[in-house]
Amino acid sequence: MRRLPVYLLIDTSGSMRGEPIESVKVGLEAMISSLRQDPFALESVSISIITFDRDVKQILPLTPLDELQLPEISTPESGPTHTGLALKLLCEKIDQEVSLSTPDKKGDWMPLLFLMTDGKPSDSQLYKEMIPEVKKRHFASIIACAAGPSAKTEPLKELTSEVYSLDTVDSTAFKKFFKWVSDSIGVGNRSIGATDDLVLPPPPAEVNVII
Amino acid sequence: MDRKQRMAMRKSAMAGRLNDAARAIDAAMEKAGISPSQKGEFLDWTIASLWSNFREERMNQRIMIENEIRQLGLRFPNGTVKKEYAVFFELPTDKISDIKLSGAEELGLNFSIDEDGKCSLTGKPASAGDFTLRLRYNTIEGEPSSELSIPVAFNPNPRDLWKNIPTDENIPYYKPDSDSAYIKVEVDEAGEPKKDIVAASRRGRSHAQEGKARDDHFSLYHCDKSDWYIMAVADGAGSAKYSRKGSEVACKTVIDHCKELLLDNPAFESSIREYESDRDNNEKRTTLTRNIIDIIYKGAMKAHEAVKKVAEANEEAKLKDFATTLMFAVCKKYEFGWFIASFWVGDGAMCLFDAENKTAKLLGTPDEGEFSGQTRFLTMPEIFRDPEVVAKRLRMAIVPDFTALFLMSDGISDPMFETDVNLRDYSKWEEFYNRLKTGFPEDEIGGVDLSDDNEEAKDQLLKWLDFWSPGNHDDRTIVILY
Repeated sequence: MRRLPVYLLIDTSGSMRGEPIESVKVGLEAMISSLRQDPFALESVSISIITFDRDVKQILPLTPLDELQLPEISTPESGPTHTGLALKLLCEKIDQEVSLSTPDKKGDWMPLLFLMTDGKPSDSQLYKEMIPEVKKRHFASIIACAAGPSAKTEPLKELTSEVYSLDTVDSTAFKKFFKWVSDSIGVGNRSIGATDDLVLPPPPAEVNVII
Repeated sequence: MDRKQRMAMRKSAMAGRLNDAARAIDAAMEKAGISPSQKGEFLDWTIASLWSNFREERMNQRIMIENEIRQLGLRFPNGTVKKEYAVFFELPTDKISDIKLSGAEELGLNFSIDEDGKCSLTGKPASAGDFTLRLRYNTIEGEPSSELSIPVAFNPNPRDLWKNIPTDENIPYYKPDSDSAYIKVEVDEAGEPKKDIVAASRRGRSHAQEGKARDDHFSLYHCDKSDWYIMAVADGAGSAKYSRKGSEVACKTVIDHCKELLLDNPAFESSIREYESDRDNNEKRTTLTRNIIDIIYKGAMKAHEAVKKVAEANEEAKLKDFATTLMFAVCKKYEFGWFIASFWVGDGAMCLFDAENKTAKLLGTPDEGEFSGQTRFLTMPEIFRDPEVVAKRLRMAIVPDFTALFLMSDGISDPMFETDVNLRDYSKWEEFYNRLKTGFPEDEIGGVDLSDDNEEAKDQLLKWLDFWSPGNHDDRTIVILY
């Protein structure tokens, strides 16, 4: 059974503590239930969640949507944002979890990556080093979201051309954002094939397109 | 001593003991310096505080047990609506009692627990959604019942979620959501049955869900005069917006091209006979190959050019918006057997299946990428720049006879064969052929009766194409020469 692997990288640094992270959870819940209403997603989407602050953890290994139960997400009091380390773990997990086509086995669909951060990488050197590594992994699409006023879009633009921003980090904004993520996953599901560029659905008003 | 007397004696003995105890407490209080007037108040206070200690300890015990139960980390896996659901777990019945799982019944589930605390939650979930079950139990006598909420999610059955939205007929390059055809070739002069062609094409559920058009296409032709059979299948790329037109143009172009070149081509036909009579002769082989290149390879090139032309005529579109795969074959029966020549670019499968001799010969190699869904297209100019294009994509065969020649898009070959290795496995083709005939009784989908001149086979085939395979909802197109 071929899967559409979806990797969510979520910033859990100290600044996300409290309302922002609670809003993210609400957004994720809504995303999961909306995806469950999509028959194609229900049969093929697998989701993994990697959180990053000082520590980087894969809190949810790549799990089929129908079996998925959202794990607890915790945030430390304060500390650095190790986005680079998160990309490193992502690459390792992709290599372990996503299967390529071989003569006797059909591979997975090309994976999707969503990265959400409210700051900037504290490990900028590693972050820069990891960008070409991430690109080698053949994502069908990489979507980066700068959430809130202190999020920096410049580093994200080096990772992908699909950079979006949220003005606020409240539940309305995240809910809309994750709704859009789930719509994009739906598109990813269907448009896999000829071209490398995925045409995403238009983002909601709360999500700004960064050019 | 009668009964009354005995009771009276026991009573007075008890009163005596109570009096003894009261006197002892009295003495102890006096010893501690409690004045007679404070004795009553002190006793009330003692009992009240001991009682509260007692209650606190009970409560703490209850909380400890509750924590223990919580720490079991009971989590119910997700289920699917109306599909058998069963979870088994254990609860410590030495610590808790009167165990109930409230909410289970409403969800269509049955909870049971035996003396050893072995629990089961089974049944078919009645509806889909996110729910909360409450585990209720008693811990310590006199303490209130405890409750633990356990979330449980039941997925909808994906089959119930598919919608079938017709394609808007006003879109550019509209084509019907399904198509089928049967070419009945009547018996020959000697009364021998001749092979027929049946074909069907159906829009995938993933397209039907969004009201998007079918991207696949097929075209068939049988020339009564020359007795050539020509058939083509093309699979427009899912992500290319006008691929439905690309596949259509590609199919029609090769059919028209081959039709014209085969109508009256004594040079080609004699090169086939020449080659057949002396297969080791290199010169004869080269002559035949050249002819095949003229007909087949040039047909493919023409198809590429024709799609390009359509793309160029559309100002807001590029060639890749018309991306399509293409496979086509021309066949004719001679007294020595069947001659088949074919071209194939992209995925799917084209196979000469012979049940009698137990062979399944793939007429080419499917183009597969590292990831699913990556393939090569007729619309890629590099296909024709590849110096090995002829060797890779052109095939010729002469066989005494065969059961069926199959051309199919990956909407069928993916779910039916899954891998390239299986595509080369005769037993898988045999399985496939049987599937065609038996259908999918478990899903109430009938088989296809592939007997000679059965024109109903086209409707049967179209219905057959609606089979269920999780994750495989691409357009499905198949052509069978049999």
